[in-house]
Amino acid sequence: MRVNPDPMPDLLAALNQTELQTQRDELELSTGSDVNQPSDNPLAAALLIENNDQATFNASYLQSLNTINGQLSTADSTLSSVETTLQQAISLGIEGANGTLSASDRTDIAQELQGIQSQLISLANTSYEGNYLFGGTETTAPPYAASSSDPSGVTYNGNSGVNKVSVGNGYQIEVNLPGSQLFSAAGNNVFLALNNLITAMQSNSDIASATNGLSSASDYLTAQRVFYGNSMDQVQSQTTYLDTAKQQIAAQQTSLGAADMATAATNLSMAQTDEQAAMEAISKLSQNTLFDYLR
Amino acid sequence: MSGLFGTLSIALSGLSTSQQALETTSNNVANANTPGYSREVSVLEAGAPIVYGSVSMGTGVVLDQIESLRNPILEIQLNQQTQQQNSLSTQLTELQQIQTSFSSSTSGIGADISNFFNALQQLSPDPSNLALRQSVLTAAGNLATDFNTAANNLTTQQGNLNQSVIDDIGQVNTLTAQIANVDQQISQLQNANEDANTLVDQQTNLIRQLSALIDVQVISTGNGGIELTTSNGTALVTGSQSFALSTSLGPGGTEQVMSGSQDITSTITGGSLAGIIQIRDQQIPGILSQLDQLAAGFANAVNGANAQGYDLNGIKGGNIFTTPPAGGTGAATAMHVAITDPSLIAASSDGTSGSNGNVANLSAVANQSVANGETPINFYSNLVFQIGSTTSNTSADADASSQILQQLEDQRGSVSGVSLDEEAANMVQYQTAYQAAARVVSTVNGLLLDAVNLGIDTAQE
Repeated sequence: MRVNPDPMPDLLAALNQTELQTQRDELELSTGSDVNQPSDNPLAAALLIENNDQATFNASYLQSLNTINGQLSTADSTLSSVETTLQQAISLGIEGANGTLSASDRTDIAQELQGIQSQLISLANTSYEGNYLFGGTETTAPPYAASSSDPSGVTYNGNSGVNKVSVGNGYQIEVNLPGSQLFSAAGNNVFLALNNLITAMQSNSDIASATNGLSSASDYLTAQRVFYGNSMDQVQSQTTYLDTAKQQIAAQQTSLGAADMATAATNLSMAQTDEQAAMEAISKLSQNTLFDYLR
Repeated sequence: MSGLFGTLSIALSGLSTSQQALETTSNNVANANTPGYSREVSVLEAGAPIVYGSVSMGTGVVLDQIESLRNPILEIQLNQQTQQQNSLSTQLTELQQIQTSFSSSTSGIGADISNFFNALQQLSPDPSNLALRQSVLTAAGNLATDFNTAANNLTTQQGNLNQSVIDDIGQVNTLTAQIANVDQQISQLQNANEDANTLVDQQTNLIRQLSALIDVQVISTGNGGIELTTSNGTALVTGSQSFALSTSLGPGGTEQVMSGSQDITSTITGGSLAGIIQIRDQQIPGILSQLDQLAAGFANAVNGANAQGYDLNGIKGGNIFTTPPAGGTGAATAMHVAITDPSLIAASSDGTSGSNGNVANLSAVANQSVANGETPINFYSNLVFQIGSTTSNTSADADASSQILQQLEDQRGSVSGVSLDEEAANMVQYQTAYQAAARVVSTVNGLLLDAVNLGIDTAQE
């Protein structure tokens, strides 16, 4: 059979192929990814977008958890101080109930209790990064203000709103308790109980029962504080979970898109060898024809 | 018996045919690298014998014809494969350009969507924070800009393809006019019984060039005449007459290919024109419409969620994105953030500044069916999958087609290509034949002298 006398187009096509392969391998090695455009692997390209979405969500949940944790632990330690302060007030009440005290002693105690009252107001007005922690969703103004006209000695300017923050797919954590559930809960209002104790101390009447009132309000507040402990536990375990998920997402990303460096390097050197061979073939190509031998 | 003069005439026929055969060889060598040239061979034939009784004497050699070696079936296959290959490679080039807008998983529309929801998530634990609100608006702005860019790139590419249609049609018309002109010359030569090999080569080559642009069918009308039509029968050349195609701006802003008053755009199935039209009229509008669907669905869902809540001033939320055009067409190009004041994001569900209740509604858009029953990120990743697989399939088809084309070229080369080795051998052969015939002439010359000088050995004087 007669062969095509011009092998050049075939050789050039082969050379072109090896050059394309070389370029692909070089790109793979330099980017570290074997999905550099959707056509490299359409399914992996699509999955990588969803993987990036998951990674972004995972990272933002983790960041939110960090913020929430700050809010929760500030609130929790504030409540711890509140408890200490209330214990002081209760001790003072027990002390004031002692019949041997003089009127001026009780006046001193009453003054001390008033000091505790302002301290309590200040604690209830604690803020974290500019947001008041105990005003419900009214976070821009201090929730409690002293008021002589109110029987509890304070007015609550917050609301009963509770914020929930998503910390996972379909998983929300409540991040605050409003002051109306903590300090000024109906039936267990620590401000009212404290103000009652101050009045009792000043008038020297029913000091013991006022002290008991404050004590039970204080117990109620302690029970409410458990919320923060629980929430912080949730934050902790969700953080652990998301950290694990982060590893999985990263592993998935690697399996979807990361170049196999060893293979890519081997392919590259093979393609380079092919390329050299093709070029060598072209360079040696029929520099001689029969004409050269007819002298 | 014809005597010595007869022998002389036979030797002369040998001289002249050898010379003609050498000319053919020389022509082949000269055209060894001419595109579309088909090698020629001299077809020699023994002269008609003269019969004397029971003896017949040869009368030398004649050059019957110079044959151009060409396989017509192969030429048709080459035309068809050229049409397919050019359509596919044009599509591939354009698709590769399209997919650059969709090539990254960590930037572009997909990542922008993720980042928008990330910004919302950051706002959730601290809903009145203006800096965090601003970053939601910034993320929304990036998303809108990337939608605009992707859509504009596609529209620009479509505009460039429109220009390519005009350019290609111009080339088609030039080629058909040339083919008609060559056809006329061939007819004239063949009517005069002359050899039209070179012109046929030229015509074949022109038809090959035309095949790179448009699907063309060659119908032979006999005696060298041809008729060219597109595959759906639109006449391009009939004999010496060519019919120019034209372009006209269609209602959709695309240049339509016209044959007279007939729009043949959608019937073109081969050559770069088919590739251009496929991308311009099918692929790009398809992708644009999906981008529009996603942009409109996303903007409407986010606006709807924002309207459910209250902004930082306690007022019902308004639009975050400008309202997409009705029906969604053009939504990707028109997508724009409607507000610059970050306090207008309606994070609150009760009107208080510290409430984050409506952030959940805004974030929920991530899991809502915003377009075609899919969530934003799923819809987008499906789009990327489609673009990727179309490109990768086209690439595989184009590779296969170019390999077939290469094989056909090889086959054509094996039939029609000039081999210098072969020509060198032919040259030696005809040279030797010429020398031998010349020797016969010289011998006859000697014999004639002997005869004229009646035995005097003139040759040895």
